Amino acid sequence: MDFSFTEEEKRFRAEVRRTLIEQVPGHIRQAVREEKPVPREWMVEAQRILNRNGYAVPHWPQAWGGRDWSAVQRAILAEEIDRAGVPKPLPFNVALVGPVIAAFGSEEQKRRFLAPIANLDLWFCQGFSEPGAGSDLASLKMAAVRDGDHYRVSGQKIWTTYAHKADWIFCLVRTAQGARKHEGISFLLIDLTTPGIEVRPIRTIDGYHHLNEVFFDDVLVPAGNLVGEEGKGWSYARYLLGQERTSMGNVGVSHRRLDRVGEIAGPLLDDPAYRRRLTWAEIELKALEITQMRVVANERPPSAGPDPKTSILKVKGGEVLQTAAELLLDALGPEALTAGFPEGGDEQPFHGLDARSALVSAYFSSRKYSIFGGANEIQRNILAKAVLGMGKAA
Amino acid sequence: MNFEPSEEQQLLAASVARLFEDHGAQTSADPAGQWRDYRDMGLLGLPFAEASGGLGGRFEDVMLVMEAYGRALGQAPYPAAVVLAGRLLEAAGADALLADLIAGEKLAAVALYEPGRRYRWNDPTTVAEREGEGWTLTGAKIAVSGADAATVLLCPASTAEGVRLFAVPAETAGVAVDLRPTPDGRQAADVRFDAVSLPAEAEIGDPATNHGLIAAAIDGAIAASCAEMVGAMEKLLDLTVDYLATRQQFGVAIGSFQALQHRAADMLMAIEQARSMTIHAVAMLEAEARPRGAAVAAAKALVNRTSRFVGQQAIQLHGGMGLTSEYPAGRYFQRLTVLENLYGDTDHHLDRVEAAGGLRAG
Repeated sequence: MDFSFTEEEKRFRAEVRRTLIEQVPGHIRQAVREEKPVPREWMVEAQRILNRNGYAVPHWPQAWGGRDWSAVQRAILAEEIDRAGVPKPLPFNVALVGPVIAAFGSEEQKRRFLAPIANLDLWFCQGFSEPGAGSDLASLKMAAVRDGDHYRVSGQKIWTTYAHKADWIFCLVRTAQGARKHEGISFLLIDLTTPGIEVRPIRTIDGYHHLNEVFFDDVLVPAGNLVGEEGKGWSYARYLLGQERTSMGNVGVSHRRLDRVGEIAGPLLDDPAYRRRLTWAEIELKALEITQMRVVANERPPSAGPDPKTSILKVKGGEVLQTAAELLLDALGPEALTAGFPEGGDEQPFHGLDARSALVSAYFSSRKYSIFGGANEIQRNILAKAVLGMGKAA
Repeated sequence: MNFEPSEEQQLLAASVARLFEDHGAQTSADPAGQWRDYRDMGLLGLPFAEASGGLGGRFEDVMLVMEAYGRALGQAPYPAAVVLAGRLLEAAGADALLADLIAGEKLAAVALYEPGRRYRWNDPTTVAEREGEGWTLTGAKIAVSGADAATVLLCPASTAEGVRLFAVPAETAGVAVDLRPTPDGRQAADVRFDAVSLPAEAEIGDPATNHGLIAAAIDGAIAASCAEMVGAMEKLLDLTVDYLATRQQFGVAIGSFQALQHRAADMLMAIEQARSMTIHAVAMLEAEARPRGAAVAAAKALVNRTSRFVGQQAIQLHGGMGLTSEYPAGRYFQRLTVLENLYGDTDHHLDRVEAAGGLRAG
């Protein structure tokens, strides 16, 4: 047991921090720190800088740009990226589709996709959820029917973050009706410029446009875009969920937000009631930091599937983020009343968006943390069953 | 960073778990025999440097012992006599007394708190006045843990030169130890010092540094109590999950109900966070006073809040059985409630964190 960071880990953190501040332009970090949405080209610019330093895909196999860094080092990296206000490497690329292609893709797919994915030359979005398949993902229906060298894909995906910015989408599709609903699911890569695809925006209560519905009407997808074997999509999705978990708790984002509280709360910091809420948030965040490191340091092979304790990071990390967003909202007081935000478009209202409005918007946006990636209620189911060994829910 | 116990630490944890379980299973309590077992296993010297005659144990080892102690509802005065009093003796350079403690020949307790002053210990109303070469000690202390077994009471008292620290044999004339039952079935004492004459040698420490020494010793004891509470809470959650799997209603085990599963999951998450803060407190024990105090206080605040939640929910999930005194869940709830108030309740420690400028300062 050694509960302190090693000298090497401390040096690593200092080096990462210095590199990020030196290389990532200040206006990008400023926008993130102010909770403003970041234009596509800034996200691409930031990820290329990260990739150049080995910071975008350190968890990948070394042949494809990964680094020989420990999980603790990778967690330090993720925390520093968030805390510095650098846009995260696009998770759909680096944490989700990339590792699946690296593990199960053909050599040709690896050569074609991995480097552009790491560098954000290709932007992927995630096509998992459907209108009838949310927490119960295995009920998905979008059909891919083999037709010669192609699949014909028809159906609908929903809650697709950044589909309007993306070049490609990776989808779970139904290629067969299995005896069990987890069977007959396949993992397919689809070029979003293919005819028959329509992306429609979903406006959200934070005023921005991140989410979309994606409609597929008899879309022809080359059979070579199937990843791995037909019918094994569910196991690949499980593999994907067991992937990089070093930033699951979003520790760096919460730090950044509590930093921001310190900047804007002013005299409220001397108000005992507000101060006490902030103290609790600081304590929960410190505990989360250690819990994150405990889960991270307990490295498991990806084939072992997700560590059920990551559900704790998901729930507690989301709670701390949401609490920090509330503290920011409440710091505005009556000024929140005149801090509305325009509806629609993410890059258009970005210019000149009032700093207060960005915080109010971030509060509404923060409610997503207990919903996406398996709602908190699903995480509690996982903990009860996989960690506590409790019986099937009635 | 490495959270895995070494092989040696795993061995230690397993041995103490077995020992504490055996002690718990004894039908008639034999405190003296149990204390000899502690000594024979090397636990009495565990927290102390080799130079002080100890085993050079790091506090991580103490944490492991205290977790096992918490799981087993340990009864011996280990936290009060060894972790608090022993570490204070070591810091104060009271080598002879410490040697007797490590040998199991003497048992000490620290008398910190006073009537009506909650958790204030740093400016005692108990006073010591010079009397020839020695001192006269007068005052009242309350809630002295481990006083039932203690042969020596360590007592801070105000003097013209600041707070002095006295090691008072419990049998000294004028010392009145009023043993009272604690809510978890043990004993603690209110102690009166009625013009107690002490020789000069009774003083340990140095008024110039006592404040820092006592604060550091209390912070160590708090970290140990956090570990004890985490051990107790994990065991209580185990008991609760077992009960939910066994208890049948409406033709099924009630643990199959999602509302109850989610409650148990909330308990689990809260305990994991409490464990993390305990680790943080232990990691910070050697830091400077301000960040150390903030970390330890934050840990106790979170562990306290968690303990109240986990304890209350465990009773709720046990239904009527949780209210009976023969079922173990209630015993754990009682122990946790006592520990919540030991060395400062939740609000006290939140005040400490804030007075230190918060957890993220510097």
